[in-house]
Amino acid sequence: MFQNRAEGLALALPAAIFAAIVFVLPVIILLSGGLHVGGHWSGEAYIRFFGGSLNRLVLWRTLELGVLVTLVAAVVGYASAFAIVGLSASAKGRMIGLVVLPLMISPVARTYAWFVILGRTGMVNKALILVGLTDRPVRFLFTETAVFIGLLQLFLPLMVISLVSALENMPRDVVPAARVLGANWLQIFFKVVLPLTREGLVIGGTLVFTGAVTAYITPAILGGSKVLTLVTLLYQRVTIANDLVSASVIALLLIVMSFGANLLLKRLATARNRT
Amino acid sequence: MKKTLIASAAVLLLAMGNAHADEKTLTISVYAFAQDAYGKIVYRPFEKICGCKIVVETGNSAERLAKMEANKANPVIDMAVMSMADALEASRKGLIDKIDTSKLSNYDKLYDIAKDPNKDGMSIGYTFYATSIAYRSDKATVNSWNDLFSKKLAGQVAFPDVTTNQGPPALYMLGIAMGKNTPDLKAPIEEVGKHRNDIVTFYNRSSQLVQLFEQGEIWAAPIGRFAWAPIHKLDVPIKWATPKEGQTGGMNVMVVTKGSKNRDLALKFMDFWLSTPVQKGLADALVDSPANKDVKVSPEVADNITYGADTAASLKLIPSAIDLENRNKWLQEWNAEVAQ
Repeated sequence: MFQNRAEGLALALPAAIFAAIVFVLPVIILLSGGLHVGGHWSGEAYIRFFGGSLNRLVLWRTLELGVLVTLVAAVVGYASAFAIVGLSASAKGRMIGLVVLPLMISPVARTYAWFVILGRTGMVNKALILVGLTDRPVRFLFTETAVFIGLLQLFLPLMVISLVSALENMPRDVVPAARVLGANWLQIFFKVVLPLTREGLVIGGTLVFTGAVTAYITPAILGGSKVLTLVTLLYQRVTIANDLVSASVIALLLIVMSFGANLLLKRLATARNRT
Repeated sequence: MKKTLIASAAVLLLAMGNAHADEKTLTISVYAFAQDAYGKIVYRPFEKICGCKIVVETGNSAERLAKMEANKANPVIDMAVMSMADALEASRKGLIDKIDTSKLSNYDKLYDIAKDPNKDGMSIGYTFYATSIAYRSDKATVNSWNDLFSKKLAGQVAFPDVTTNQGPPALYMLGIAMGKNTPDLKAPIEEVGKHRNDIVTFYNRSSQLVQLFEQGEIWAAPIGRFAWAPIHKLDVPIKWATPKEGQTGGMNVMVVTKGSKNRDLALKFMDFWLSTPVQKGLADALVDSPANKDVKVSPEVADNITYGADTAASLKLIPSAIDLENRNKWLQEWNAEVAQ
């Protein structure tokens, strides 16, 4: 396409310089904050961070929420994506529009809606009492359940969209072919569909997991200080304690978790493909 | 065509630059609650007088202090309001300047306790408040700070986080109620930890409580009187407790940031805020109890704020120095006993 390599490089240079200045450099400065304390380099900040039982608990809770949200999003996402792919072109457009719609609403408004829905006098509790599942309102707000629900709703569309595009690229006749050859639905999913759509799953999974572990508004509003996650803890360390060292440690943990999730998902997907 | 475009863009830029240069701005950092009322009673009228623009940042006292420390070399805000203890800390950290009270025409009208609460000339009280327990009178009765953990209120209480202004005073009163009031607040913090699961949330901003009361999420919470008005107006029966151990509270003070370029404007603004009509306006709106002793309010208003020198003197306050000395210890104990 380009006449020579140099031309291509020259075209890429402005963007590369821009990214280096506004992204790479700040990230390096930010992360060095946790390793360069009081004028010398040491891992002391990390040792201190992991020494705190509250910090370990929050890290574990964040991982747990991230994994759970990603798993459930994958299951629900596959089901919805299958349903959407099977529709006529115009209905498909409408359905994708509906799936994407929540992404266009401010997360603050969306999360506050959950605050009302999950409240003691909210829709969910009214319904539970009406059908006789409980005789007094269940406490949802400021629990991990509320944060889980909020995060799932927030990030599910990303999974659905990724899986829809992956399923659309899958040859249409593979499922009937597998049926004819005697595979049951479970076998079809794991041996045919999953390997053929793994890239969509990896992209969707990475987006959902990264989003879930780095979200601030949802855990802050629906969880509060009783359900701290790494990000709300980071906020607390910076705004209340002015403790930028711990904040930098948490920032590194979040980056490692995001990359780790991406690598792990890729590994899982290729491993599944080989069988 | 191209020339015209460039010329018009240049004119636009010049015009914008001028507008910028003409308009003085005063950046203030205040609490998040009742901003509509402050806008109407304090900010907008002052903007008309000074021909300047007020930029408002909001957050709680601890957040503000952390931000001021982070921006020490290049202060963003010109004046701030905070708790007495945070003002003492800000002064010790060299974040604020002495206040030139000769430029405040309303200074002599203040109650004595508000004139220089930390005795260092660095802050001026603009309001004080009682802290007690607001509770749903149709669900329970509260006669003691211990009643927060009564069976009836289990699972229905919001407690202030230890890092907020209301946290330590509420713990202090709980300690008195338990008969174990030491400055380290060890016993009350352990007590809160023991009842952790009966507490709905540890709140960070009083403004959160309105929705929690309205939705029936909580039936009781220790709150400052300044947050009472919107809760009192809700369509649910809520009362202000007068516990037998007494009420606690605090004073909020004004400070000026060291290195601020708008010192004179900031002092003018503070003087305006302390003036009798403005302090009365804030009292009538049930926002702030006046620190200006010339303010006279109706009995109905007096009933809903913290009014008068006697009331102020009767509040059991934690001295700023004790607060500062023990703060880290409280947070450590809290993180070990309550936060997990």
